[in-house]
Amino acid sequence: MAEMTSTSYQRTMSTRGFYRKHKLVIMPFVFIAPAFAMFAIFVIYPIIQSVALSFTEWQGIGPKRWVGLDNYRELWGDRVFWTSLVNNIYWLVLFLLAPVFGLFVALFLNQTVFGIRLVKSLFFFPFVVSQIVVGLVFAWFYDPAFGLLATILEPLGISFPPILADENLATFGIIVAGLWPQTAYCMILYLTGLNSVNPEMIEAARLDGAKGWRLLVKIVLPQLRAATFIALVVTVIGALRSFDLVAIMTEGGPYNSSNVLAYYMYDNAIFRYRMGYASAIATVLFAIMNVYIIWFLLRLWANEKGAR
Amino acid sequence: MADVVLRDVRKSFGSADVIKGVDLEARHGEFVVFVGPSGCGKSTLLRMICGLEKITSGQLLISDENMSEVEASDRGTAMVFQSYALYPHMTVRDNMSFGLRMAKTPQTVVEERVRRAAEILQITHLLDRKPKDMSGGQRQRVAIGRAIVREPKVFLFDEPLSNLDAELRVQMRVELSKLHNEIGATMIYVTHDQVEAMTMADKIVVLRDGLVEQIGSPLDLYTSPDNRFVAGFIGSPQMNFLKGQIVEVAQGAARVSVPDAPDHLLGIPLRADVSVAAGQQVTVGIRPEHFLGTPGGPGLEVSIDVVENLGGIAYAYGRTVASQDVILKAESETPPQSGMSVTASIKDEYCHLFDGNGQTLSMPAGALRTREAAA
Ligand SMILES: Nc1ncnc2c1ncn2[C@@H]1O[C@H](COP(=O)(O)OP(=O)(O)O)[C@@H](O)[C@H]1O
Ligand SMILES: [Mg+2]
Repeated sequence: MAEMTSTSYQRTMSTRGFYRKHKLVIMPFVFIAPAFAMFAIFVIYPIIQSVALSFTEWQGIGPKRWVGLDNYRELWGDRVFWTSLVNNIYWLVLFLLAPVFGLFVALFLNQTVFGIRLVKSLFFFPFVVSQIVVGLVFAWFYDPAFGLLATILEPLGISFPPILADENLATFGIIVAGLWPQTAYCMILYLTGLNSVNPEMIEAARLDGAKGWRLLVKIVLPQLRAATFIALVVTVIGALRSFDLVAIMTEGGPYNSSNVLAYYMYDNAIFRYRMGYASAIATVLFAIMNVYIIWFLLRLWANEKGAR
Repeated sequence: MADVVLRDVRKSFGSADVIKGVDLEARHGEFVVFVGPSGCGKSTLLRMICGLEKITSGQLLISDENMSEVEASDRGTAMVFQSYALYPHMTVRDNMSFGLRMAKTPQTVVEERVRRAAEILQITHLLDRKPKDMSGGQRQRVAIGRAIVREPKVFLFDEPLSNLDAELRVQMRVELSKLHNEIGATMIYVTHDQVEAMTMADKIVVLRDGLVEQIGSPLDLYTSPDNRFVAGFIGSPQMNFLKGQIVEVAQGAARVSVPDAPDHLLGIPLRADVSVAAGQQVTVGIRPEHFLGTPGGPGLEVSIDVVENLGGIAYAYGRTVASQDVILKAESETPPQSGMSVTASIKDEYCHLFDGNGQTLSMPAGALRTREAAA
């Protein structure tokens, strides 16, 4: 009896000793564990499930049938898939205008003039409203019969096609709508960045003879590197996952000419009950995004190491 | 030849008048210090000279050229900021050479100037570092180096030492004075620290509320301040001020009674052109060092509250019989103790006299002496 207590006592002592010795190693894992569990359940597991699903044929209910790479073979020959992919590339490239516009708007707003607060809040506005509203507003704006664009241009004798109904213009019409809130987003990032620039440093640069463009490129922009990095990341991700505007404004039409991968995936899953095929599209989109995510992580990694 | 001339310079921000008419000259090679309480417009004045702020009215000449239409970068001035304002993404070398590169100076000239400036400031070993990897003192040197390489006619410093710790401040103060002797350029230096002003300046400009209170050499300001503000601002610890009343005026001197020293009538020599009358209320100013340590005798009776013994000298803080706070300077071999009551006898001819508006009436002995020495 006495022996037993003493051994169990010793055991607790030794586990405590172990914990104490390795506290600095163990505690970080303990703190990370809850977040990691959530991440695993709601992010990693669905990714794996979705990739697995892309090798099957499944209608959402009923049995799944293993089809190997068939879905991917079909994608390779699917004209709509390629259109969507190309449109995604248009989105990606043209969306990069958002950080540029955002920077200039931020530079413009970053002055102390009477009434600038009102102007600023006007520029913030598209960032606050939902994408759905943005889509609706732009759809009305483009309306060939009653839209603002038509009302402005027609008296000037400029005629233009119905943008969202034109298979060559629809995608660009949506991208312009998307650029509006995205520019506001980037502007906010840049305004925050500009706020932390030492005004005396700008003055020093002025005394050093740097003006206008050279002042911007050589002195101001390097201070905004962090803001630029984040603006690029959110813009690229935003362009690749563009979905709501397409759904609201054209539903991918006309004739799938304005489709994008995210919407095409949704279309296949929800309207055609082709879960396996939709998963294959999702997997391709995921792979493309991973290129950026890996770049992003590598940059973060390098920064962390540099900071140390 | 004057390097910098200001004529009735004014500056308003909207409806707020910040500089209300300043006239001053800095001669070539002079070390001019602007001093004054925080918010009096020192920085604004400096920023108008270098062109960061527009002049609302008045004239600014640098080397006899009117600067109203000249760009900040073309004025031949270089500024050192309080926050150093280094470019954080550039190495020290690039920080220092940026201005020259902007001006398209030939590469060899740039390198040579950076090398020389770095040698003067002893920062050659730091040339490839970034500002974030340096201490405050080192950054300060780089900021000064950035000014030196441009070889300006006029150096402008805006409280350059106020971010440094006390020890470093003293060291940099001496080095800046050395630098001035070495380079020989005109320097205008802003500070709110009167010790910096006294130790470094050839000429001090005391500012208050956007107006010049007095311009003169450090000793001038110390021995014959033009008004009560300057008298109080220059000198540490502060001059003591006692209320008094003129009893009679005779032979260029006033006899003044002071309630704090009831048994003593002060005889204070007056300036030539002042009008005073018996019965006038005045303020008597006495610097802590101008009390005599003689025990007894007519003078100020002071009960001592606190004694600061600095080794060599001691300052005694106390109150007079009329409950006026005063500071006395004493030799620390025999310093008064707190709780003691001492009689501080007054050297009449070292007293200052101010009228109700704070204008100086007196001609203190110290001023007479420096005037004679100058003549
Ligand atoms: N850009 C500005 N706009 C409005 N007021 C200013 C501006 N710059 C300075 N001031 C005002 O001018 C006065 C003098 O400022 P400053 O020259 O910085 O004082 P100092 O450098 O002597 O402490 C202060 O009252 C300050 O509030
Ligand atoms: Mg200032």
